[in-house]
Amino acid sequence: MTSGDHHTDATIARRVRRLETLLEEKGLITGERLDEAIDAFLAESSSPANGARVVARAWTDDAYRARLLADGTAAVRELGYMEGSFQRLRVVENTASRHNVVVCTLCSCYPLRLLGPSPSWYKSEAYRSRVVREPREVLREFGLELPAGTEITVWDSSAETRYLVLPHRPEGSEGLGEEELAALVTRNALIGTAAV
Amino acid sequence: MTDASPDGFPPGTDRFPPGTRVRTYRHDPPHHTRLPRYARGKRGVVVEPEGPDELADVSAQGRGDAPVEQIYAVRFEARDLWGEGDHHVVLDLWESYLEEDPDDER
Amino acid sequence: MARINDVGGTQGFGAIDTTDDTEPFHADWEARVVGLYNTLRAQGIFNTNEFRDAIESMPPAEYLAASYYERWFTAICALLERKGVLAPGELDD
Repeated sequence: MTSGDHHTDATIARRVRRLETLLEEKGLITGERLDEAIDAFLAESSSPANGARVVARAWTDDAYRARLLADGTAAVRELGYMEGSFQRLRVVENTASRHNVVVCTLCSCYPLRLLGPSPSWYKSEAYRSRVVREPREVLREFGLELPAGTEITVWDSSAETRYLVLPHRPEGSEGLGEEELAALVTRNALIGTAAV
Repeated sequence: MTDASPDGFPPGTDRFPPGTRVRTYRHDPPHHTRLPRYARGKRGVVVEPEGPDELADVSAQGRGDAPVEQIYAVRFEARDLWGEGDHHVVLDLWESYLEEDPDDER
Repeated sequence: MARINDVGGTQGFGAIDTTDDTEPFHADWEARVVGLYNTLRAQGIFNTNEFRDAIESMPPAEYLAASYYERWFTAICALLERKGVLAPGELDD
């Protein structure tokens, strides 16, 4: 799914501007208010670095990890994330024998506050239709080949709980500090379409 | 998590404790719903309550009287959903999408 | 007959384009649409579920042909008409 060809893009851009003008005339919005809303969206949605920091903390602090798995919302708030959000967060943990992957088959629900805006593939019909039915094949397309015995759970975000995958900490990372660990964690690893 | 309601809703009921075997309703409502087609009329097991929220089906109609219900994370086996597969799918489902599984033959 | 958005398990959508795009918006109008959505929702003109409902109510062929934020824009316009904020066809005048 792309933003279409240039002609279509220009047509929609004109219609969006026209709607803005109409709503300004009706006193429902102002250009300033709209700019603020866009800035707020970008500030609030942030980037996968937030999720990576949560993971690095969990990998280096067992008590934090336990709190994170028991009540994700409260635990990420300790680090200043998801303040004031009406959504809940559930963190699902990958191990050597268990793998979790997240989707929203009905629309595009995604933990914006921890991962930033979602990639196009997450919102695509191809991903949404297939990962609930054939996760192993889908993960293979992402370059993630799981051992045959791995238990896979697909979390379909059908209500206001958002899901974050806690990846399995990689072998040989024992000597790394929190910041170095965070740098290893990719957005796809936090969705479950990659390992670390 | 039933008392951790950041949106100010009262705690939901715990009609289906973790481990309860449930079945989702079958019908195809003529309005917005958050029970996907692939999980209708299917058997699953309650993982745990997620906390209460307004029923999306009613809220989507712009009505102010949407009931607040408990939402449950429910785990389904791939072979129950698709007739094959060895994975699981977990969905968050409002209480009125669910009934206790009457015949426990598994 | 579920709605067109309800694609879990539907076959035929093909391979996933796994390109890891990192830009939140591919055009300025997409940002404006998100701004409109957040502003109008914050004013109580519609709620999240009504918005989802409006996206899902798009004719299937139109839904599938539209980009992600085109769907948002279509839904916002439909809701504004339904709520009487816009007269039918006003956007096209």
